[in-house]
Amino acid sequence: MSRSERYLPCLPGGADTACLLRARQLVKVYRADGVAVEALRGIDLDLAVGEFVAIMGPSGSGKSTLLHVLGGLEPATTGEIWLRGRRVDGLSRSGWAILRRRHVGFVFQFFNLLSNMTVADNVELPALLAGASPRQARKRREELLAELGIADKAGAAPARLSGGEQQRVALARALANEPSLLLADEPTGNLDSSNTRDVLRLLRRVHDGGQAILMVTHDARVASLADRVINLFDGMVADDATIVPLPRSLNGVGDVLELRG
Amino acid sequence: MRGTLRWARADLRARPSQALLTLGVVAGVVAALVLSTMLLQGAVNPWQQLFARTHGADVLIYFQNGTNTSELSSLPGVRQVGRPYEAASATLEQGPVQSPVELRGMTPVPPAMSTPLIVAGTWLRSSEQDGAVIEASFAAAVHVGVGDKIVVDGIDGTSVPMRVIGIADTADQGFYPQWTPGLIWVQHGLLTAVEPHQSETQEVVGLRLDDASTVATGQVVQTIWNLYNGPTENSAVLRYSTWQQVQNSMASNDRLLGLLLALFGVIALVAAPCAIANVTAGSVLMQRQDIGMLKALGFTPGQVVGMLLAEQTALGAAGAGFGLVAARIMTSSAFVRPPDGTPVGLAPLSGSWVALIGGGAVLTVAIATIIPAWRAGQVSPVAAVQPTPPRGHLSLIARLGLLVRLPPALVLGARDSLTRRLPSALTVVGLAIPMAMITIALICWSTIDGFTRDPGRIGLAAAVTVTPGGGLDTARTLNLISHDHQVLAYYPGAEFDTLLPGDNGTFIARAVGYSSRPYPFQTVQGRMFDAPNEAVAGQGFLTLMHIGVGAWISPTIDGVPVILHIVGRTIEPDNNGDVLDFGLDALSDAGGGGPQLFYALVLKPGVSPAAARATLLAASRDELDVQLVANPADGLEVVKVVIVVAVAVLAVIGLANLLTAAAVGQRDHLHEVGVLKALGLTPRQVTATLVVNTTILTAIGVASGTVAGLVIAPRLINMQGQTSGIGSGIAASLPAATVVEILAIALAIATTAALFLARRTTRMSDSAHLRSPNRPSPPRRHALDNVNSLRTR
Repeated sequence: MSRSERYLPCLPGGADTACLLRARQLVKVYRADGVAVEALRGIDLDLAVGEFVAIMGPSGSGKSTLLHVLGGLEPATTGEIWLRGRRVDGLSRSGWAILRRRHVGFVFQFFNLLSNMTVADNVELPALLAGASPRQARKRREELLAELGIADKAGAAPARLSGGEQQRVALARALANEPSLLLADEPTGNLDSSNTRDVLRLLRRVHDGGQAILMVTHDARVASLADRVINLFDGMVADDATIVPLPRSLNGVGDVLELRG
Repeated sequence: MRGTLRWARADLRARPSQALLTLGVVAGVVAALVLSTMLLQGAVNPWQQLFARTHGADVLIYFQNGTNTSELSSLPGVRQVGRPYEAASATLEQGPVQSPVELRGMTPVPPAMSTPLIVAGTWLRSSEQDGAVIEASFAAAVHVGVGDKIVVDGIDGTSVPMRVIGIADTADQGFYPQWTPGLIWVQHGLLTAVEPHQSETQEVVGLRLDDASTVATGQVVQTIWNLYNGPTENSAVLRYSTWQQVQNSMASNDRLLGLLLALFGVIALVAAPCAIANVTAGSVLMQRQDIGMLKALGFTPGQVVGMLLAEQTALGAAGAGFGLVAARIMTSSAFVRPPDGTPVGLAPLSGSWVALIGGGAVLTVAIATIIPAWRAGQVSPVAAVQPTPPRGHLSLIARLGLLVRLPPALVLGARDSLTRRLPSALTVVGLAIPMAMITIALICWSTIDGFTRDPGRIGLAAAVTVTPGGGLDTARTLNLISHDHQVLAYYPGAEFDTLLPGDNGTFIARAVGYSSRPYPFQTVQGRMFDAPNEAVAGQGFLTLMHIGVGAWISPTIDGVPVILHIVGRTIEPDNNGDVLDFGLDALSDAGGGGPQLFYALVLKPGVSPAAARATLLAASRDELDVQLVANPADGLEVVKVVIVVAVAVLAVIGLANLLTAAAVGQRDHLHEVGVLKALGLTPRQVTATLVVNTTILTAIGVASGTVAGLVIAPRLINMQGQTSGIGSGIAASLPAATVVEILAIALAIATTAALFLARRTTRMSDSAHLRSPNRPSPPRRHALDNVNSLRTR
């Protein structure tokens, strides 16, 4: 089954509703002490509804920057971003914030749970922010924590949890509003192998439920979970390859990637 | 909205100490402001306190005796009519001195309206028919105390002896001698003894009105006047007094008190917002990551600003509430001494004052929060996920310091204070402002103290003045004075109210001593007069005449034109400084001077003026008129209380700033601590580094604040002196030892606070500092996580 069979292709032009996320000629230039550093140098990217894409690349290749720009944490210097058929790169900071509430969830390497709040509050906050009633928010939180196997930690402070548990809470928080797009920045980068396995299993389950995910990682095993892997190098797309699930008999290392273009 | 509330609640629960800090600062400032306002209002306007505590009458009407006053209660606007009582005019005889008095006939049961407030002794008793209760300011002016015997003469000359059994305050009339006659309450029998003719007595009725505004009061008085003094031409209403007249008479125009009120207002306006802004800015800095994360979750910048503003303003409102309650408790039993009167209990502030202070404090908190909140709104959501690289670098000086083997803790700590400029500047300013204010307050204290301890410094070398009179002539008076072993020196003098050239006011022309042996005036500019045609003057006089030292003037004193050269300016507390001083020989040379002679007595050190007065009175068998010289500092005791309160609040504000700075600084260093330990610094050295950083900033802040205070305070006080006419040059300085003590105490407190925080920071496990960027560590970690975090950094 090729990618074109599993997901509707993104048509030319931004306003394509089948295409969840589309970036065109994204450029991000940082200026520090009068020196301009080009972190992104003209990135084109399409993500279909429900698709799971991994972004890989060496340190400094612009992976995290790309994720931040796509989630509106930082503005792009130039270029277009379309989300659910709507152009969003010109949004104000408030506009981005409101967009994130409903449509974008974030998971970070260092979990970034709100240290002042309990696990329950951390997970309920996005729902409350999006206008849910406290009762709805609590119901959704209970569902999510139960699904992620940490229902008993609801009253705990984030600092009292292990790394794996913290990342599960972060995942629950990101999914609280059933966002169209989940952006994950090295979600397993700070976890040991067993916790990594757990978190990946959860990501897989979420994806199987139809969640679109864009994940930055530099771990090839983690990336292998995705439908597609994009390699960045020096702020540009080096290659964009769809992973083809192989027949059991041909499960060799050399057959993992099918290079495209 | 719900999300905002949820976060604010969690924030308050997670950091109660910071919330308490804001609460404490606001409560302290509000309590201090309420207290200062009450004290100063009590001192400036004692009427309000007295009126409330004595259930004073809005209007007093003096009727001819026998007038039917029953109609009063049915008049429109009159709410309550007091019990009428009889009053008679008389004279208090004290040797040669006669003072006008009004006797009021009372019963042993004090009246419900205009209840005299007993401050010493007791109220009238049926067992003591000759007992008299004297109004407090009158008693002070005529030097009469409980137990003294007095003689009151009626108009027809009948002398009636009485015994003083009580001293009382009233809001019925102003202070003696601004308001005459003096007031004495006696029982009816005694009144009849002084004034046997009923037709000569008056009937006094107190009224309380529905509406006591100036207009309404005027209308009621007019109605009564028209009713009783109508066409019958039999004027039944003899006179009246209103509460407005009494209030105006009691109001002190002491500008120093006004200035102090303004000063403490400024303190609240400057220091408190600094502290609040500092605390809020500190909490924003400490929560940068969480705020960034909130924005990543979908909080808009406006929501972040609104959330912080709402949270801090709510804290401010709670603090203001606590402050008002605390002030209420503190002042419930406090007393205040107005400049010319006896202690009066504090009346609570009016609602508008409470609203102004409480509302002002809350508004100040909101304004102080705006900038930190706006900065929080600007925090990039990326702050949540990207650790900012530690700022600062090893300067040349630091490298040199390490090269010459200065302790590394000293070098690294100093480096921090110098390279992190903005936080350092905030800390320094946050400490310097309260410190400058404390210094100013202490210099005010020192100045007031100096007035009392060494009256000679403000030109009050003589503590007692003696006027010959009665059966004593000048020679016998001189004999008495010169033989009194308590007197160090005496100076004959004469005082004249003199018209200013152009006839637009008067000043006091005072000749004391001779040009060869002048009275020890405190000359602060130019020199003392030493020739008959020379004079010195107070600032008030110079300002009035638009002249300076060195001018020639030709006033007409006691009918004699005198030409005088002003050779100096004195500190002059009398008569707003509108005083010209010269030698008696200046007058006699010009052909004037003579009858109005008095003697200014300088007492030996350690002799109390009251004792000297008693001795002289006894020696002269009460023939001499001996007056104690009033010291302007006597009315300023209240200011000392205000200063103590202000210093306490300022200390709290300074400490709040310090704790915020230390906490923020050490949080910024959390990561560095691990690095420093990894580099081989011992825990003790790491602690020392953190303490040195805070201590250096404290030292700079405290020292600069103290210096600023030392520079500003004398100017402020002298400016006040100049405008009040007493003249500049009254400001005392702080002894060097006191300055050193203040610095040492401030530094000791700072170092202790820093040490406490630093030890907590240092004790955290080594790996904790290195684990996650700028974030306190969770206690439970897997070993592998630490390795991972080290690797990915």
